[in-house]
Amino acid sequence: MKTITVLSGKGGVGKSSITASLAVLLAENHKLITVDCDVDAPNLALALGVIEDNSQLIDRVRSEQNAILIKEHCSKCQECVEACKFQAISVDKEDFPVISDLLCIGCGACTLVCGDNALKLESVEIAGIRVGETGYGFPSVSAQLNIGKSGSGNVVNIVKIWASEIAEAINAEYMVIDSAAGIGCPVIASVRGSDYVVLVTEPTPAAFWDLKRAIDIVNHFNIHYGVIINKNDINSDFTEEMEEYFTVNEIPVLGEIPFDQKFVYALVNLKPAVIFEPEYTGKFLEILKEMIKNINFWDTI
Amino acid sequence: MRIAITGGKGGTGKSTIATALAAELAKKHRTILVDADVECPDDHIILSTEREKIREVEIFLPEFDKQRCLKCGECSQICKENAIILIRDNFPFLVDKQCNGCGACLLACPNRAISEDAQTIGCIYLGKPVFDTGITENLILISGEIYVGLESTSPVVKATLDYAFELEDDYDFLLIDTAAGTHCNVSTALMDSDLALAVAEPTPFGKHDLDLILKLLELLKIQPVIILNKSDIGDIGLIKEIQSNYGIDIISKVPYTKTFLENYSKGIPITHKEISVIAQFLENRS
Repeated sequence: MKTITVLSGKGGVGKSSITASLAVLLAENHKLITVDCDVDAPNLALALGVIEDNSQLIDRVRSEQNAILIKEHCSKCQECVEACKFQAISVDKEDFPVISDLLCIGCGACTLVCGDNALKLESVEIAGIRVGETGYGFPSVSAQLNIGKSGSGNVVNIVKIWASEIAEAINAEYMVIDSAAGIGCPVIASVRGSDYVVLVTEPTPAAFWDLKRAIDIVNHFNIHYGVIINKNDINSDFTEEMEEYFTVNEIPVLGEIPFDQKFVYALVNLKPAVIFEPEYTGKFLEILKEMIKNINFWDTI
Repeated sequence: MRIAITGGKGGTGKSTIATALAAELAKKHRTILVDADVECPDDHIILSTEREKIREVEIFLPEFDKQRCLKCGECSQICKENAIILIRDNFPFLVDKQCNGCGACLLACPNRAISEDAQTIGCIYLGKPVFDTGITENLILISGEIYVGLESTSPVVKATLDYAFELEDDYDFLLIDTAAGTHCNVSTALMDSDLALAVAEPTPFGKHDLDLILKLLELLKIQPVIILNKSDIGDIGLIKEIQSNYGIDIISKVPYTKTFLENYSKGIPITHKEISVIAQFLENRS
């Protein structure tokens, strides 16, 4: 099985929409599974028409631990306040420590300094993992981080394990992963172990700047990649500038997609662009072929 | 007054609104714009601003004293990030990049073989945006940036905000532009705000992610208002549904126009009467 991960650095350039269309076309000839690794704000399942009603909750992730105060034991020494490097512990009016669930990362440092055994770690549920049939012949696995919980990198790892299990069960040839915006822990966890990365960008200085930071991440893992320039006509001069950069740096451009409000309407109707507007099939097929060609090329070397 | 600009979904226009609003407020008020999207900071690009590095962000990193180390493995066991690897009969081996600086190993070591060292994970920049109109004395941009490949975004966000808070007394408005998503780096950026502008676009993604960010703001007890961006594309009904669920106001509707896109791709903040509407709303609140 080949794992293809889609990222962008900057948010809103069209990662999930493009991933949905590519997956639908890829599914015409191959068994695949899609995975939404944007566990903060998962949208890929939505783009594929999978909502809560037609999906199944398969796992509740309980991994992170939160510090809990046992008030009766506490002598208000406040050693824990000092020890917490994440400023998660403050003091209330009666001088008792108060632990912020949002800031506590469960490192356990406070439990180690507490001389009264007044602090303990308790595991909490941080995410739910769902699977649903997309209606395009393949399943979609996604995760949703519970509000205010940390540990999104961890959740990404777990959703990927679930996806691998299901992929094996259905003999999937491809796993297509949609990652979060940014280049932080959930993105790093998404990219890790991928066979190929697709970077989606648009011709704006901000997207280009973020793309370069995302490329650094991909290079760090030594994974081959190609770029898709979305909304390529919103600034033709800048598109040319980017194309030149890609040529000079020998970065393959898998294809370019013009800006079209129909993409927004496809989204509003919860349909991938190639389903909502079949005239786009040709464009996306070209990109898909280029991508597969690239993946196979690196395979033969 | 501290105002966070957030939204959940990437690309809804957080930075577009934040930079435009900063430029608008700076016409009359002393304003700090903090770019708290430390993974992908873009505000300096949208404002075409040269930045100067002010300071580096450091977190704790354990240093092992091999003379004192008993190779007992307590440090490795306590480390939740699996940053300390112990192979039997060897000294502990540290994977710097995995370390989040919690310091639990230092506390767990029974023989005080671990001392405090530091690792640099990012830096803070200061910039003074220059506009066609010239005046920029009123506006400064502070942006945090995590070094590529590192995962501890929250400490960089926190350090960036702390630097801004040091300067805050000389300013009227402090705008905090957050990252996309709802995880720890966003919570950290929002935490100390008086008000949050939730920027949303009228699509199912926009609706879904707005719902998530409003839940987070509820948890943080921060009052939100909605800025509807790209208001003329998609389906406004989607956002109105969320608005009435939460009983909060849409204070401004910014349309999607080609000039915005052009400005954005040229590094110029947008101007629009709807941006002045937001500025006025904030002036009345402060």
